[in-house]
Amino acid sequence: MKQLTKKIATISVAALLAAGMAAVAAGDNGTETSASGTASSGSSTTNSSSASETSASDSSSGGAADVTIDYSGLSGEITVYMPSPAGLASKLCAGFEELTGVTVNLWTGTTGEITAKLTAEESNPQADVVILASWSDGLSLKSEGKLMSYQSPYAEYMHDGCVDDGYTLYGTSASAVGVIYNTNIYSAEEIESLDWSDYADSKFKDDISIPDPTKSGACKDFISGFVTAIDTDYSIIDSWAANGLTNGGGNSPALESVKSGEKGILIAGVDYNAYSAIASGEDIAIYYPESGTVINPRPAMIMNTAPHVDNAKAFMDYLMSDDAQQLVADAYLIPGRADVDCNSARLGFDDIKQYEVDWDKMMAVADTAASYVVTKTAGNI
Amino acid sequence: MKNNAKFQKAAAITAFIAVALVLIILIICPLVSILSKSFITDGKLDWSNLVSLFSDSGYLETIGNSLLLGLSVTVISTVISLPLAFLFSRTKLAKLKWMDIIFMIPFMTPPYISAMGWTKFLAKRGYLQQIIPAITNSQNFLYSFWGLSFIMALHVFPFMYTMMKNALLNVPSALDEAAAVSGGSFFYRLRRVYAPLLLGNYAIAAILVFIKTLSEYGTPAVIGNKIGFYVFTTSIHNYTSISPVNFGMAAMLSVVLTLLCFILWLAQNHLTNKKTYKVVSGKGVRVNYIKMPWYVTVLAWIYIAAVLITAIGVPYFSVIATSLLEKVSRGLSLDNLTFANYAELFSSGSQGLEAISISLELALLSATIASVLGIIICTLSRNKKRKYNKVLEATGMLPEMLPSIVLVLGIMLFWNSLYNVIKVYNTLTIMVLAYTALFLPYSIQYITSAFTQFSDNLPLAGRITGGSKPYVFMRITLPLIAKGIITGWMMIFIISFRELVAASMLEPTNTYVISTYIWRQFEQGSSQLGMCMAVICLIITVVVLIVVRLLTEREKKSRRK
Repeated sequence: MKQLTKKIATISVAALLAAGMAAVAAGDNGTETSASGTASSGSSTTNSSSASETSASDSSSGGAADVTIDYSGLSGEITVYMPSPAGLASKLCAGFEELTGVTVNLWTGTTGEITAKLTAEESNPQADVVILASWSDGLSLKSEGKLMSYQSPYAEYMHDGCVDDGYTLYGTSASAVGVIYNTNIYSAEEIESLDWSDYADSKFKDDISIPDPTKSGACKDFISGFVTAIDTDYSIIDSWAANGLTNGGGNSPALESVKSGEKGILIAGVDYNAYSAIASGEDIAIYYPESGTVINPRPAMIMNTAPHVDNAKAFMDYLMSDDAQQLVADAYLIPGRADVDCNSARLGFDDIKQYEVDWDKMMAVADTAASYVVTKTAGNI
Repeated sequence: MKNNAKFQKAAAITAFIAVALVLIILIICPLVSILSKSFITDGKLDWSNLVSLFSDSGYLETIGNSLLLGLSVTVISTVISLPLAFLFSRTKLAKLKWMDIIFMIPFMTPPYISAMGWTKFLAKRGYLQQIIPAITNSQNFLYSFWGLSFIMALHVFPFMYTMMKNALLNVPSALDEAAAVSGGSFFYRLRRVYAPLLLGNYAIAAILVFIKTLSEYGTPAVIGNKIGFYVFTTSIHNYTSISPVNFGMAAMLSVVLTLLCFILWLAQNHLTNKKTYKVVSGKGVRVNYIKMPWYVTVLAWIYIAAVLITAIGVPYFSVIATSLLEKVSRGLSLDNLTFANYAELFSSGSQGLEAISISLELALLSATIASVLGIIICTLSRNKKRKYNKVLEATGMLPEMLPSIVLVLGIMLFWNSLYNVIKVYNTLTIMVLAYTALFLPYSIQYITSAFTQFSDNLPLAGRITGGSKPYVFMRITLPLIAKGIITGWMMIFIISFRELVAASMLEPTNTYVISTYIWRQFEQGSSQLGMCMAVICLIITVVVLIVVRLLTEREKKSRRK
């Protein structure tokens, strides 16, 4: 075992020797993993629909939209980051691949993971199209000048609020949050008349959970809306925290904890997840408390640094096409287009009561409010 | 003939340079990248990361958490493993060699899978509470410092058990008997004979367990993150993957972690040289088994069963049960079991199937490349005339002393900085590079030990009888070290097959491997699908483990003959 001392000595020598050589190799480029200052402004290729890929025509296929997209002439690849549900994401990508022959590099993650990935890759941007589950996060990307404007022929068919003024954010799908509960533990009668603030009741002590708003975009939008419209002094959030509110992690694990009964109640649980679990026979239910909630459009955006701009524009059009919108509806999400119906199992865009939503205010407080919830719930299990 | 010698010398030097270059790129450059990331910003020396390390209480807390966790895991591992080591070396139970394989199972089980199993088991309204409704607060233990320590100790205790058992086997019974004859009671002898003799060995084992705990990512990520208990590994991971991303601090923490591990290795080495007693005198060790009364035997078996049930039974039960659940909300009941999840996992074109094939591909490639490198390095460093060849071996062993997350972070930073020149970042190639670097030590270790098992005279005899060097290598050396190569290959294969840290930090867009698939399903999608994959992974792990064991066992036997 004495050899080990020698080994360590030789290692040190080796390391020193090699360090010189490596320093030369690494030094040239620095290690600029997180360097900022990519082409973020000025270079936007604007909204002129560059001839080849869009052309309006008469032949409509289902839906009320009178749009036909010509996808011919596309080739190569496109990199897309999408949030859950992963099933929908891969179906959409497969649909686009089949239609265009373009290879789609899909990466799915939570909204928090996707924004982190974008930051990490600032010095060598990979993404063409990014979808987030949080409209306010999309707006802050826009305010940082990271998005490309593109006027899709489908823009006029979208729900109010599902396209921003500059045609950079398209809410091609939307979701709302509600209260999800385990029906083996609570009955509909005792739960569904309750409003948000009622979950401070000691009856629910240590049995309430909330998705992590820094991971779940939907929950982040709900929280930022909640503290701008209803809970302006954060007292309701505080009372939940005092009642043992736990951080459930991303949307899926949070829902999973209600399914397994680890928690009886999920506050601000995203609805499409719940509807699809209910459809598969799980013993849970969802309702929207009477004071209202947020419908958060899930923005699809073209990055300013997109390596494959033409493919990216075509992908945006595809996301709003009849086929893609039907896939969205099948996943129990609200289709972004006003002329495509929701799945009959769920409430639609106009049937869910919203509290007053001011996205600019919400964007301003979103990060603070989200980390407030995380801090407040830390330590609760 | 002279030309031939010159040619061989040239070939040896070429091989040396080639391997040295490979090692510099694989191991040294990433480490240098970490150093430069922590202390250099925009080409200038920058101490701000170091300053914030000591001024921000968050970082200090992370360091404190890691050390505390390391300590508690070491203590719990000790409590679990010392009685076992005694039973399986000093009593009749020592004859049950197959138990050694059983005890290796928890160690070989990917810790993140065990941890997931435990969370399903101890959670509120989880499996334990479904089986015994009277228990209502097991979740308080699960999500606590002690719960985390306990679950981690259940993973590493076999390591300490094996080391202590081997140390005990080397203590001749004569010493114990001398004390007994002189009237020492059992506990007196434990205190005055065994304890002093074994203290050095124990300290070494404890330090190694401590290092392993510091380096472990999976369990702290599953349980610690949930209760806001961050350690080195999870903090480093978070700084690279969750907004706000801070590579500088990730690198800084890596430097601190590496220094810590390095100091511990030195301490371990010092102890090995100074504080272990030479009980192996060459006189032969005669070990007499202590006769246990029947009730002690029963107690011993109860203890062994309890350890095995908690270390293997509970996590395996939980994982398998979850993989078979039809509806999560219906819980454990016979009519809620289904194989449909497996069918979904294996349905053609599924993400799961793709993950398995990518993992297989990665594991095959990495194991093969690392083995070839290992053969070259070991062959070169066998040449006693060229001492500097030892440098290669030492560098190749470096990853063994580093927590894997450190090397992975280095690889990430290094290839990211070269992205404009060579596009390796965000491809599967970077993962092959990472696994090759991480697991090269396995190959070197197994091949070195194969080399030490035969005399230099064998190849020399071949040379004298006229065999050329390549011929002797192919016909004598290679067959003799083949088992070492194969065993090393299999170990690398199985470990890179389910490795988590490198995969989660380096996997390219659009790609899942087995570990990240399990992780993602557990975190994002259906825990049933994730656990199906975990079961597949466990089956493969156990099978390969047994095969490796049989291979090495047979080797030992043939040596004894």
